[in-house]
Amino acid sequence: MSIQDQLPEQLRKRLAEDPLFGAKADLLHDGRFGEQWLAITEHEVSVWQQDHTQLLKLKISELKDARAVGAVGGGTLLADTGKGPVVLARYTSAQSSIFGFAAKLLGAMAKKEERPVVSERDFPRYCQNCGNPLSEGTQICQICTRNGKVAARMLRYTKPYKLQLAATAVLLIATTLVELVPPYLTKVLIDDVLGPKDVGSTLMLVILGLGATMLLMSVMQTIRGLIGVWVGSKLMGDLRKDVYSSLMRLSLAFFDRRQTSQFIGRVNSDSEAMRQFMTDGVVFMSAEMLRVVAIFIIMFGLDWQLTLYAILPVPVMVAVSMTIWPKIGRRWYHQWRSIFRLNTLVGDSLQGIRVVKAFGRERDEMARYNEANVELVRRNIRMEGLWSFMFPAFAFIAGLGTLLIWYNGGNKVLSGEIQLGVLMALISYLGMLFGPLQWISQMISWASNAMAAAHRVFEIMDTPSEVPDVRNPEPIGVIKGDVAFDSVTYGYEKHHPVLKNVSLHVKAGEMVGLVGHSGAGKSTFINLICRFYDTDEGAILIDGTDLRSISQVDLRKQIGVVLQETFLFDGTIAENIAYSKPDATPLEIMRAAKIANAHDFIVRLPDGYDTRVGERGHKLSGGEKQRVAIARAIIHDPRILILDEATASVDTETERQIQEAISRLVKGRTTFAIAHRLSTLRNADRLVVLERGKIVEVGTHEQLLEKEDGVYRKLVDAQKELSKIKGVEG
Amino acid sequence: MAAADDKYDIRMFAPDDVYFSRGSGGVFQGVIDGTTYDELEVYRAFPFLYTTQYISVRNTKGEELGIIPDIAELYEESAKELEKELQLRYFIPRVTRVDSVKQKSGLWMWELQTHLGSTRMVMRNLHEHLQYPGGGRVILMDISGKRCEIADWQALDAHSRKQLEEVL
Repeated sequence: MSIQDQLPEQLRKRLAEDPLFGAKADLLHDGRFGEQWLAITEHEVSVWQQDHTQLLKLKISELKDARAVGAVGGGTLLADTGKGPVVLARYTSAQSSIFGFAAKLLGAMAKKEERPVVSERDFPRYCQNCGNPLSEGTQICQICTRNGKVAARMLRYTKPYKLQLAATAVLLIATTLVELVPPYLTKVLIDDVLGPKDVGSTLMLVILGLGATMLLMSVMQTIRGLIGVWVGSKLMGDLRKDVYSSLMRLSLAFFDRRQTSQFIGRVNSDSEAMRQFMTDGVVFMSAEMLRVVAIFIIMFGLDWQLTLYAILPVPVMVAVSMTIWPKIGRRWYHQWRSIFRLNTLVGDSLQGIRVVKAFGRERDEMARYNEANVELVRRNIRMEGLWSFMFPAFAFIAGLGTLLIWYNGGNKVLSGEIQLGVLMALISYLGMLFGPLQWISQMISWASNAMAAAHRVFEIMDTPSEVPDVRNPEPIGVIKGDVAFDSVTYGYEKHHPVLKNVSLHVKAGEMVGLVGHSGAGKSTFINLICRFYDTDEGAILIDGTDLRSISQVDLRKQIGVVLQETFLFDGTIAENIAYSKPDATPLEIMRAAKIANAHDFIVRLPDGYDTRVGERGHKLSGGEKQRVAIARAIIHDPRILILDEATASVDTETERQIQEAISRLVKGRTTFAIAHRLSTLRNADRLVVLERGKIVEVGTHEQLLEKEDGVYRKLVDAQKELSKIKGVEG
Repeated sequence: MAAADDKYDIRMFAPDDVYFSRGSGGVFQGVIDGTTYDELEVYRAFPFLYTTQYISVRNTKGEELGIIPDIAELYEESAKELEKELQLRYFIPRVTRVDSVKQKSGLWMWELQTHLGSTRMVMRNLHEHLQYPGGGRVILMDISGKRCEIADWQALDAHSRKQLEEVL
């Protein structure tokens, strides 16, 4: 995509030179929706209104710099001139990236620096057909291609079980046909045996026939049921697996923006709803359809006139179903949202139960819960109320048909037009017919519930990872450990960068301490090395290779992390240490623990390395957990090591032990360490001081201390003050 | 500058402390405590609850100069410029009519009329893209980050209410 293509021909002709850049802004200068055109040439910047009248023209030589100022929901492209800043264009956030690029380009031109290169990420991407925004990392438009084929997609899950499902179908047809036999035998019984009082062997034969069909039906239903359960459970397993693996595949950024407790419900209940539809739903529906058709054929064969009466209520029932269908779908969604809110509430307050208790807010939590609970109750009543209305209504309408047959059929029997048995058979077939029709409503509920669930499940599956792997990742093998930041800018929200234009080169084996106030961007810095997030601008290189072109599996093999909040999984200590290397031998595990200063305390535990830790196991202290985490990093044997406040929450003695362990760990590895206690970073080869997302100082401890007015020096002084106070208090 | 001595106190501006205007380049600027700034940034401290109160005024470095307790107390000219700047900075068009809300292959499409013109919003679902700060207010966010606001959905016309009833 060439960047000047977008400019209308008319406007391009008015330019003295070929445009370097052209873009349409979607807001006017006064902030209203509208269109304005911006074009940049070698010597000028021009802005036109929608009717192609020129609004603004600036010479590049007048510019000092240009900025894209982000705001909420939109932004402004500003040019700094000798006479103060000038607004070039305003835009909504859909266009932030493209005007961000424009700002960089103009800034570089004004300052005569190297010009930025356009990358595809700089452009908001729209679908060619419908003009709706495309989500990142995909070229496929959700609106144009996915024509509501959710059901088809859902049914694709049944593919591996074709054989079993085919068998179910055959059995189904057979049972359905067999089910139709008893009413017919009843007719024979009444008309040929009971009516004429035929005391022959026919009675016995008919009864035997009835018995045989009953037995056959039971056997077939059992087999069908067993297959159904088997296929259903397998399907459910497949679905859950897919949902869970899509969750694992998603980037951290996805989880940052959502409450995680919601996913527990999603993985389980949504896949259950889909399973129910696919096995019970589809099987049931086809069975009932088949039955309806067969019953009609037989009824028409018995007496077509009476059958017509029976059909009279059917259109009414279909009409009722049709009007209620959309209503039910909406109410399901409402109900689901209420349940969802309730679950999130419980999840949240249980996770924060310590805070709740500490502030004595149990009552308020209960009130909050109660509010959501009442809401759910209300929704439930509305939903179920609709149900309780539907069933009797259907039964009543169906009953009307029966009445019609009784009346007309009765007359016919009295006038001798038909035999009593035929009437009885018709009545029982009719009963069988309205059964399935009532089930339509159940089917509606299943189907709409499943569709809603499927939408949510596929939503997770379709969300592209924000840190996608390239198609042909470069094999990196074992790396040396050179890490370079090349003018990196990143923000969790795009318009609010946390790291701004950070450049740093770290040699293999070097230990770098990251220092700065909270919120300075230290954690973001290391999150980017781990590639939890991708840079918005600039690149991170490991041994000269862009992080983005390395597969994440390879990358993570080279990186070890010890975080402030140690998370131990449910399992034994040994399993936790061997988390990144499941095939580690017991000796390796012990060696790692020894280096981490953890071996001694572990062995002293009654269950030793087999002590269960995690949510329901043995409670380790903060320092002990930390050392287990360090052992985990040691066994991983990474080339790049990241320590994020690894000693923040422990006492001095434990810190000394952990320090010792860390100093053994960092040997020969490129290490990035964050610590609030600056003394922890004594061993660092270099300290990097971050402030407001920018690197302000780099140097050794001594070098930085020499700077009279340096940021680092101030930090150190402040900590000395603090420890003095602490000394007094102690 | 009495309050500025204590840098841990919030500086509240009186109407006489500030004068806001717009530069020739269309940029918000002003004179604060006698100092001229040719570019100022404004932030709402409570964008949902108090849209015209507690406005934080900052220089281009992002340092807070002080807080305007209530726009209504300012002199008319300053208040007008500040309001205009807030509207530009917080680009949240107010919905005047909901033309339609449709679900199309997993995406919700909203056709809206706002006080700043008509627009379309695209959402992946309703539970993550709608916020209810209280009252009848609804904040809509679409997948590109664009926002719109419905001040009170029950006060909209009948057609809009009908569209909304199904989704709120």
